[in-house]
Amino acid sequence: MDATANSIALPEVTEVSVRPARARRPLLLYAVTAVILAVILTPVLVVVAGSFLNTAFLGLASEQWIGDGSDAHELITFKWFTYVLATYRPQLWMSAQLAFASVVGCLALGVPAAYLLVRGSFPGRRVLEEMIMLPLALPGLAISIALIQAYIGFRGKWYFVLLGHLLYTLPFMVRIVASALRGFDVAALERAAESLGASRWQRFRYVVLPNLRHSVTLGSLLVFAVSFGEFNVSFLLCTPLTATFPSALYATYTFNSFQVSSAATVIFLAVILPVLLLIQWIGGDEARVEQGA
Amino acid sequence: MLPTRAIAAFHRLVPLAGAGALVGIFFILLVWPLTCLVIGSLHEGNTGGGAFTWENYAAFFRSHRALTALGNSLWVSLLVAVLSVALCFAPAWVFVRHPFPGIRVVRAVFTLPMSFSGILIGFLSVIMLGRIGVVPRFLEWLTGTPHFSGAAYQLGGILLAYFYFEIPRATLALEAALRKMDPRLETAARSLGASRGQTFRWIVFPQVLPALLTTFALTFCVSLGSFGVVLIVSKRFSLLPLQVFEEVFASNHYPAAAAMSVVLLAIALFVSLGGRWLAARFSPGLSH
Repeated sequence: MDATANSIALPEVTEVSVRPARARRPLLLYAVTAVILAVILTPVLVVVAGSFLNTAFLGLASEQWIGDGSDAHELITFKWFTYVLATYRPQLWMSAQLAFASVVGCLALGVPAAYLLVRGSFPGRRVLEEMIMLPLALPGLAISIALIQAYIGFRGKWYFVLLGHLLYTLPFMVRIVASALRGFDVAALERAAESLGASRWQRFRYVVLPNLRHSVTLGSLLVFAVSFGEFNVSFLLCTPLTATFPSALYATYTFNSFQVSSAATVIFLAVILPVLLLIQWIGGDEARVEQGA
Repeated sequence: MLPTRAIAAFHRLVPLAGAGALVGIFFILLVWPLTCLVIGSLHEGNTGGGAFTWENYAAFFRSHRALTALGNSLWVSLLVAVLSVALCFAPAWVFVRHPFPGIRVVRAVFTLPMSFSGILIGFLSVIMLGRIGVVPRFLEWLTGTPHFSGAAYQLGGILLAYFYFEIPRATLALEAALRKMDPRLETAARSLGASRGQTFRWIVFPQVLPALLTTFALTFCVSLGSFGVVLIVSKRFSLLPLQVFEEVFASNHYPAAAAMSVVLLAIALFVSLGGRWLAARFSPGLSH
């Protein structure tokens, strides 16, 4: 009885009430979304404007300690960018290297790890997966102090900072790749390849990896963005010689004028923003699901 | 030429060896450091030297400053988590159910704070709501009085800054959960005469409740551990991570910092595991 009732009722339902639901737009939800969007964007736009607008020209209080003030009559100036790039070039370079190294490390460790977690069958598989994800839920500061306590002798070494970054970036890579692996029938594909005589390595290299191209690209971009912006771990594990660009940002916020800080922030955004846009463009559903940590 | 049996055995060993390597890496990166942290918090000297003592914890619970910071941390994280889950439900719902042209750009903007560290957000907060921030200057020009001047340094501003930090995390987590829902269930409920409120209460809410709980736990833990914002804006208001930071950088006193870190870690673990447990308990598939 129930089954027939359902089969008769369903088509009617979809026909009658889908249309009004579509027609009625949730204005309140749109409004909240718009407000949040404004909250995110306004400060960023102010900082971008502040980084090249010569506020001295506008008659606003401003420090003129960089340069000789000869450009005080110009509305737009890029001297603060020149200053930041000249002063904090090593930190910028350090962060770029660390971010690239994190991507390489995550490719080398994260992709096989994800494959192992999805395809492998060994005791404690779930516990291991939980452990890989754990750093995302734990306070970065506490982890940094723990790392210093354990390996005090390595403090300031670049590879030590890299290990800290890997701890925080591996979860992103593993989760994206693992969910991609769960999204298609790897086992069946591998069985087919195996029946054609492919070895374990050949199956991984020519069957599994090509199917992961998309998610691996996505994961790499995400890892780059996370590593480049990471402050907590870097700041505690670094010495001035291995300081990263976010540490340089902190230095400008503490010691420099609003314009210099803005210019440094805009340089940071100029690196991060294209990566984030790229993630959205190529990402599709995976980016939607996986970034929500 | 190896016998096939040996080759098969070797192939079975490959994943085990890989798993062993993985366990090793995480032992080095996570388990051993955390062990050292606990040991360090129970000893007198920096890096776990000196005699065994409970004094670091005792000092923590005696210190009015540290306890105030702990209290502040707890209820700031709580408020921010509630705020994030409640407000970010809106963009998540819009992204899933009512996509519009240009949604990718909007979503990219929403993910922007993901790679912002706390200090950057603190800086943005000072620019907008500091003593001569953009908002008070604008309001002064508009109304004659600089409203919200210095708000960045007060509770409201700090909450807003922490909320900023959580926007991408909360939105994306909720969005992922909403995407798994089947809209036809709501349509069916509506066709059976349920009001909008009833549909939400009995169809939508039970389905998203687990995601709301895990998102709450996630945002709570992230707020609890982050100190960049207060590092920039802190005047009188202190949070526990900032106390840890000061113990390290101002006093170079690692045992106290380690004890506070263990407290932070314990709370974070408790909340995230509790959130997961509750989420599993309230997931529609298991109960009813």
